[in-house]
Amino acid sequence: MNLLAKKDPRVSTQNGPRRTIVPRYTVDETADSFVITAFVPGVDRSALETLVEGDTLTIFAHRTWTPPADWTAVYRETPAADYRLVLELDHRVNRDAVRAELNQGVLTLTLPKAEAIKPRRIEIKG
Amino acid sequence: MKLIRYQTSPLFTPGASYPTLRDEMDRLFDVAFPTLSSLQRGGLFGDLEGEFPVDLYQDKDAFTVRAELPGFRKEDISVEMADGILTVTAHQKTDTKPDKKNKETATTIQERRVSRAIALPENLVLDKIQATYENGVLTVTLPKREEVKPKQIAVEVK
Repeated sequence: MNLLAKKDPRVSTQNGPRRTIVPRYTVDETADSFVITAFVPGVDRSALETLVEGDTLTIFAHRTWTPPADWTAVYRETPAADYRLVLELDHRVNRDAVRAELNQGVLTLTLPKAEAIKPRRIEIKG
Repeated sequence: MKLIRYQTSPLFTPGASYPTLRDEMDRLFDVAFPTLSSLQRGGLFGDLEGEFPVDLYQDKDAFTVRAELPGFRKEDISVEMADGILTVTAHQKTDTKPDKKNKETATTIQERRVSRAIALPENLVLDKIQATYENGVLTVTLPKREEVKPKQIAVEVK
């Protein structure tokens, strides 16, 4: 985790070291892919970065909205933190074909299964 | 002025069944460190199913409620103001994409219904309440009535 945080310039430079939280997420498996659904409310498309680096998948989502200076918080329940999710990928994922989609604060990542693990029929010759 | 009431008195409430020491400590911590407790509450899919985190801000002109409601459609969300209580309800029916190939597809969002009631002060302009929904966050702006805005009166010094 520490090594990754160092590699990621946004964590250390922009707005100082801002606290990050792990978003709520689920992982589902379909016949030909894995689907990660992460809930990142308050994040604009431009403030979201998904990075596949070797065996590591990193999702970094920056909360774009901050209250104007003259607003006072009467009551707060949401944490003022960015989202950061780091997942390990194994050999079953085709890293070159990861797709991401962000819709109203829900990030859907589709990770297709690698061809190598799909069942294949082997013809008998001769 | 009424504020959001999400739990009863932070201290001991007579009449209720006797809470354990642990419950008391948890509640005291919730009051002392609201951000921590909201992290634990976890929002939409946390332990408290059916709730979602809400912030309330005010400036000199208006109150603003921000609610984190990821993954809904605009038309799934209803905002009502009655008797000084703002009620936000989001209801989404099961959104199953028919997929003949993958019958075991587990990636459908189940039907969910979440609701939250927020008590607000009475000095609001009810017909000027506005709501927007963007990036999974619902923002409701409730303008204050003119007379409750702080007025500046120039006093002439003779």
